[in-house]
Amino acid sequence: MFAAYLKRGVKAGVVAGLVFGLLMALVANPLVAFTDELGHGDAHAAGDEHATEEHHEASSGAAHDSAVSTTVTNGVSIVSGVLWGVLLGGAVFGAAYYFLEPAIPGTGGTKSYLLAVAGFITVSGAPWLVLPPQPPGVEQSLPTETRILLYGGMMVAGALVCSLGGAVYGRLRDTHGRTTATIAAMLPLGLLAIPAVLSPVNAVESSLPSELAVGLTGMIVFGQALLWLLLAGTHARLRRRSVDTGPADIAPSATDGTLTAD
Amino acid sequence: MAAANNTVHDRVEQARVELTPTQLAAGLALVAALGFALLFVQEPTLHDAMHNFRHTAGITCH
Repeated sequence: MFAAYLKRGVKAGVVAGLVFGLLMALVANPLVAFTDELGHGDAHAAGDEHATEEHHEASSGAAHDSAVSTTVTNGVSIVSGVLWGVLLGGAVFGAAYYFLEPAIPGTGGTKSYLLAVAGFITVSGAPWLVLPPQPPGVEQSLPTETRILLYGGMMVAGALVCSLGGAVYGRLRDTHGRTTATIAAMLPLGLLAIPAVLSPVNAVESSLPSELAVGLTGMIVFGQALLWLLLAGTHARLRRRSVDTGPADIAPSATDGTLTAD
Repeated sequence: MAAANNTVHDRVEQARVELTPTQLAAGLALVAALGFALLFVQEPTLHDAMHNFRHTAGITCH
């Protein structure tokens, strides 16, 4: 049964990852490279740039402070995008869904979409409250170490808050009805404001035109939202198909029960 | 069997039956390694190679 769940999660991850990889290849890679170029051009004098072009490392077309070539960066970034989808699919929609399925509110596909919302809040939404997505070439005041800790900490906080919301819903649904339970389940999300306010401020300094910065941030948010939407959509579809092929019409667990019995 | 799947606790119990500790450890290690590599590794070559991806995923880095 666990294997069946994991397989479904990884499948959803591959589908979403491939689309995200495509977004990386077609939109993000050129856009980030262009922004790097622009940010760098502003930061250094033009003569400086001409001087470094004599050196092979600097003029190989890579982002100027990069240790690897543009081709490698583009290639690895696309592969990372696909792996990102597979990782989230396997870990969240495979393993976590297997354990949490009984506790996630709703029925059928709703569970997949709710899990996607919780996943987005955990992996991206909560950390972004403290460290909003930044376009390349932005100077940030906090050191990298601190930011990694903050990011990781907010991921934990996001996961806790989402679990708390789910638990509240489960507790209140039978006694107070669905509407009250749903509203009450939203309240824990507000707790994220506490670490967001208390955390040190990460002042940023950017020489990019604000339209470009806004556009990039929009693409980043859109990309992650799209990824989670695809994960949930594919997962719900696969789940429905596996239920349809089995005798059970209510509980998916009945299908999986027969699978385990084999 | 179906009745045994109704709570999170039952799922944990069932996973304990189905999975060997080795499988569990291998799975966790794989997820941790991949997650850490994609999100947090700062080693310059790897970091720069993932530069575009990390920006697109909105992950904090350099």
